[in-house]
Amino acid sequence: MSATVNRLFDNDWVGPALVCLIAIAGISWLQPSFLSSFNIFVLLSAIAVNMVVALGQLVIIALGQMNLALGAFGGLVAISFVAIMELYGVPPMAAVAIGLAIGTAAGAATGFVIARTGISAFIITLAALQIFKGINLGITEAQPFYGVPQVVKDFGNLAVIGPIPWLVVPMVIVSVGMWYLLNRLRIGRYILAVGGNPTAAELSGINVTGTTIWAFAISGGLAAIAGMMLVARLQIGQPTIGDDWLISSFAAPVIGGAVLAGGHVSVAGTFFGVVIIAIITQALVLFAIDPFVVQIVLGALILWAVGINRFREIRVARHNEAR
Amino acid sequence: MTALQVSHVSKSFPGVKALDDVSMTLAGGSVHALLGENGAGKSTLIKIMTGIHRADRGEITMDGRPTRFANPRQAAAGGLGVVHQERNLVTRFSVAENIMLDRLGSHSLSRVDYAVLAEEARHWLAQLDLDIDPMTPVSRLSVAQMQLVEIGKALSLKSRVLLLDEPTASLTPSEAQVLFRTLRKLRDEGVAIGFVSHKLEEVFEICDTVTVLRDGRNACDSAPLKALTRDDVVKMMIGRAERISRRAPRPQPAAAPFFELQNYSSAAGHEDISLWVRPGEILGLYGLVGAGRSELAKAVLGLASQTGGTIYVAGTPRRIGSVSEALSLGIGYVSEDRKGEGLVLLHSVLDNAGITLWEQLSTALGFLRDATVAARVGPVLKKLEVKTPSLDQTIGNLSGGNQQKVSVAKWIAAGVRLLIIDEPSVGIDIKTKAYLHDLIHELAEQGTAVLLITSDLTEMVDVADRIAVMDDHRIRGLVENDRNYERVSTAIMGFIHGRTAPAAQAG
Repeated sequence: MSATVNRLFDNDWVGPALVCLIAIAGISWLQPSFLSSFNIFVLLSAIAVNMVVALGQLVIIALGQMNLALGAFGGLVAISFVAIMELYGVPPMAAVAIGLAIGTAAGAATGFVIARTGISAFIITLAALQIFKGINLGITEAQPFYGVPQVVKDFGNLAVIGPIPWLVVPMVIVSVGMWYLLNRLRIGRYILAVGGNPTAAELSGINVTGTTIWAFAISGGLAAIAGMMLVARLQIGQPTIGDDWLISSFAAPVIGGAVLAGGHVSVAGTFFGVVIIAIITQALVLFAIDPFVVQIVLGALILWAVGINRFREIRVARHNEAR
Repeated sequence: MTALQVSHVSKSFPGVKALDDVSMTLAGGSVHALLGENGAGKSTLIKIMTGIHRADRGEITMDGRPTRFANPRQAAAGGLGVVHQERNLVTRFSVAENIMLDRLGSHSLSRVDYAVLAEEARHWLAQLDLDIDPMTPVSRLSVAQMQLVEIGKALSLKSRVLLLDEPTASLTPSEAQVLFRTLRKLRDEGVAIGFVSHKLEEVFEICDTVTVLRDGRNACDSAPLKALTRDDVVKMMIGRAERISRRAPRPQPAAAPFFELQNYSSAAGHEDISLWVRPGEILGLYGLVGAGRSELAKAVLGLASQTGGTIYVAGTPRRIGSVSEALSLGIGYVSEDRKGEGLVLLHSVLDNAGITLWEQLSTALGFLRDATVAARVGPVLKKLEVKTPSLDQTIGNLSGGNQQKVSVAKWIAAGVRLLIIDEPSVGIDIKTKAYLHDLIHELAEQGTAVLLITSDLTEMVDVADRIAVMDDHRIRGLVENDRNYERVSTAIMGFIHGRTAPAAQAG
């Protein structure tokens, strides 16, 4: 019995999923309007965008690196997306393709510099963050673009069915795609191999430079998708889009069981991590608690998740030593 | 049938001649031992064979054709597989995926077909008589199984030459037997196997021919092992003195021991270790690589926990929990890994030499003036003749010998009463080596107790007063050093290899 329970808890997503269930049950008991159709719609819209953002970081965590420029990629794509539609009349579908290309290219370029110089991703993405944010402000002069077509606004604010927003559709596609990539495609396995043991990967003939560029290109592409989803939801091309992604983009994968050193991530776990963060944020608004508390609770959650991670590592190490 | 031949290969690194006219012949269907003490040039030779380094002179041929691999990847494709000493597996991945890691698909977006991988891997596992499910994650395997998986990985590249770098270092004797059974089978199938090990028992058990390297030269080139005795091999490994020691034996100081271990055992695997060092005395700690000498030094400094026995410092029983505690008791340690553990290469000479004094010299509020530190460190550096343009020079820019002087200087400046010196002359020139030996003697003359760890037997006989012989994390015996190289080396070899019949008086 206890062995079965233990094995269940070896799955990264089980813990966060339980926390979600308990939180939802508790909050809706105290505040029944939490489960109102409108509230679920709002909650899912937030979760959809944040999940894509988290996956953009997840792929880099899998590689054993970090991407501080994720929000800057997303922000630049968001305003470019609206700008080309407003200024040049580019049709929405073409604008989406261009936005995706910009994000992917920005990511690939960043990955190329990291792989080629061998300088840590922390420094390079910090520089990339400044550069892309600078380009963003240069284009917008810190003013939003308002020319968002109605079809885009509808995508961000209408429901497919019941309380399920359209925004959930790209989230589901991207999540399943990421799971497939990491578990079934050669590039995904290489990303995890490089994150898990860079020396072994290199000595086995894996092209580490190419793998790094791939991972950052994917990260940039996901940032682009998230940026455009936010444009649809906010109905406006805000230059500040992406500014607040950093903490939660790390928090959700870590809560979901990702090892920050690389080589091990969980898409399902990350989803529940995103849900936990969304619920906490929402609940605190629902109960009219000061917003600063959100920050403190989020910080505590990260500590808790990292603590669990560390505990697991120690247990594995002990287990190996004992043999 | 010659599979791989190394002829007259030389390789120099800045300041060191790592290999000097080395030859070796690996034949298909035989197991070839590559032996030598640390720094003898074994790993350089392997790195040249696999294309990590490029030889300055000489030639490597495979099946008679001259070859020069550009990197390990090319070597593997050319039929030369290497199993490195460090485990090179992605532990969260399955056995199959690890074996086939470079062949998961033809392009980045190809789908990984796990069924095909498992099938392929099962074939190689069967070759190794390894009965595990190819889909098992590597993290669930024992160390021996991981070792075999790595061999399977090398085999799956159709290696005709297989180099194993200390494959048994982390195996139990019974696990090693499993490995040997596999190696014999591969040998019978015509694979040429190169086997690096420090365990002579194993070498005599599994190997057919042997090449011994000493100081970057052949002490023997591909000799049949049958014609040799264990003592012959050891003699070739450690060499014999070409000169009579220039130092006379020193009279033993009469003082009570400054440092003593009584039946000490540690979590690092040491058992029942008893030894002592008097002020003004140089105690040598000799043993082959893997005997646990450096580990003992580190354990005593508090880096591994004490599990039994007593440590006496100046006659008082002490428990040492950290290096800073050891320092406050007057114990200093000069690491064998000067660059990795001894010095902060990017920092100045002053900061490196003064680091042990910072706590002592800082004011109540934690302020520390360079001038204060320089006043204490300067004279010591001057006395040791450290050649540096200024105290602000980055230490990474100094020569190896000068770096070593600074790593000794920092402990002298701190005024330690016991200095543990680990492999003082690795990677430094002969002149500085002689100077360091004089320095160690001078320190002892001034009343410092010295514990000298070295694999260089000539150095040991030249410098130490008494020599404790270590093997397998235990003290095997104690030899009074009368500077007679023949007698001392015979006695030491007796303790290490004879085990039952010590040839000299135990102390």
